[in-house]
Amino acid sequence: MEEISDNTASQASDLCRVVKANEDIKKVIRISSGVNLVALNAMLTAKRSGERSRGFAVVSSELRVFSRKLEGAMTGLGALIFELVRDAAAMRKQHHERRHLLNIQARGQQMRELMEPVLARMDERMHKTGGEIGRDWHRLHIQLNRVLQLCETGGSLSRSAKIEAVYGGDMTATLKQVANQIEETVNEIFSTLKLLRTQLAE
Amino acid sequence: MKKLEYIYEDGSHKWAAVARDPEKPGFLIDTNEYLVLNGGEALLADPGGMEIFSAVFSAISAEVDPYTIRHLFASHQDPDVISSLALWLDFNPELKCYLSWLWSSFIPHFGGTAETFVAIPDEGMTIPLGNLALEAIPAHYLHSSGNFNLYDRKAKILFSGDVGAALLPSGEDGLFVENFDRHISHAQGFHRRWMGSNAAKLNWCERVSRLDIDMLCPQHGAIYRGEDVKRFIDWFAALDVGSGIKE
Ligand SMILES: [Fe+2]
Ligand SMILES: [Fe+2]
Repeated sequence: MEEISDNTASQASDLCRVVKANEDIKKVIRISSGVNLVALNAMLTAKRSGERSRGFAVVSSELRVFSRKLEGAMTGLGALIFELVRDAAAMRKQHHERRHLLNIQARGQQMRELMEPVLARMDERMHKTGGEIGRDWHRLHIQLNRVLQLCETGGSLSRSAKIEAVYGGDMTATLKQVANQIEETVNEIFSTLKLLRTQLAE
Repeated sequence: MKKLEYIYEDGSHKWAAVARDPEKPGFLIDTNEYLVLNGGEALLADPGGMEIFSAVFSAISAEVDPYTIRHLFASHQDPDVISSLALWLDFNPELKCYLSWLWSSFIPHFGGTAETFVAIPDEGMTIPLGNLALEAIPAHYLHSSGNFNLYDRKAKILFSGDVGAALLPSGEDGLFVENFDRHISHAQGFHRRWMGSNAAKLNWCERVSRLDIDMLCPQHGAIYRGEDVKRFIDWFAALDVGSGIKE
């Protein structure tokens, strides 16, 4: 029983952590829809510069695939966050109800006996919810690592774009600019996700 | 602290009031809860709000085995009536809650599952308690649009929910109305503003005046006894309600 009452602080922080993580996820989703635009821009630029930038065109169409995958993965993260909010809120509610039951239990021997099975059931429920929350966090970590791995692909795409830009002839300057844009966006996603991972590890 | 007091006893057939609590913080409206006992089982009418659950539960358990409570009756959907539902179900998941069909998808926001609720149709129904048939009497629009009183024909008691409610100043803590004129001045503002329909009010007065009633038990304030029951019905019939509408 003590164990559960000591969990109040951790429940409060569960919700706060979820809110913080969700803000980061929203930020990454915003940026990754930007990647799609950058990729589209890169494809159009490559098309304009014709035969010499075939390699650049291939990289940019790969980049579009990447941005779509990233969006999907981020939606998955969002769904996990939703589950965490649901379970953390359920835990808060159960904790609130438990406090009322403890109030009764404190009113002497007869009430203690009456409340014993009720509190036992409540503790069992809270234990279950606590386990659920633990699993939610675990799944969130796994999904986050998956997204980070995906971002490695984004990183190598941005490096390839830079190399391909060199073969762009008179379009090289423009292609380099686009390649830099790609690099910046991918880096921003990377650093936000890494920040999120450190926050979750705290 | 809340205390349970018997207001009617005939063998195992009893009515008890868990009357309002002078120690309760002023920002919560004070309520009465009523326990009807018969043949080893009990029904709790308007179980009350979540914040006062422990006070109500303890007051009842001090006198009665709380596992005998099998039914809850909610006169309407207000939080002071039934927001303690989740806690009652924590205690006993088997409890059934009688409630106007109007609110059967609203009240689950306070707790309960599909199995918890027994929907009362607009015309009312009988609620068995041991060998007793309690009657859910329609009192729609007074003030809630899906609202029931609970009548015990044998005990001649009408639980009237918010009808007859009085917001009494501190110091006036008596269980029963002792001076009707003084008491009703604390009921007037409530009835004029909370009750919305003169037609509904007259319809209720007409039906209820035909019932044999010794005690009219509101959810707020003191209980009307004997002659005060008729006095209240006459007073209410003459009162103009719906005072929230300004010309
Ligand atoms: Fe009400
Ligand atoms: Fe009320």
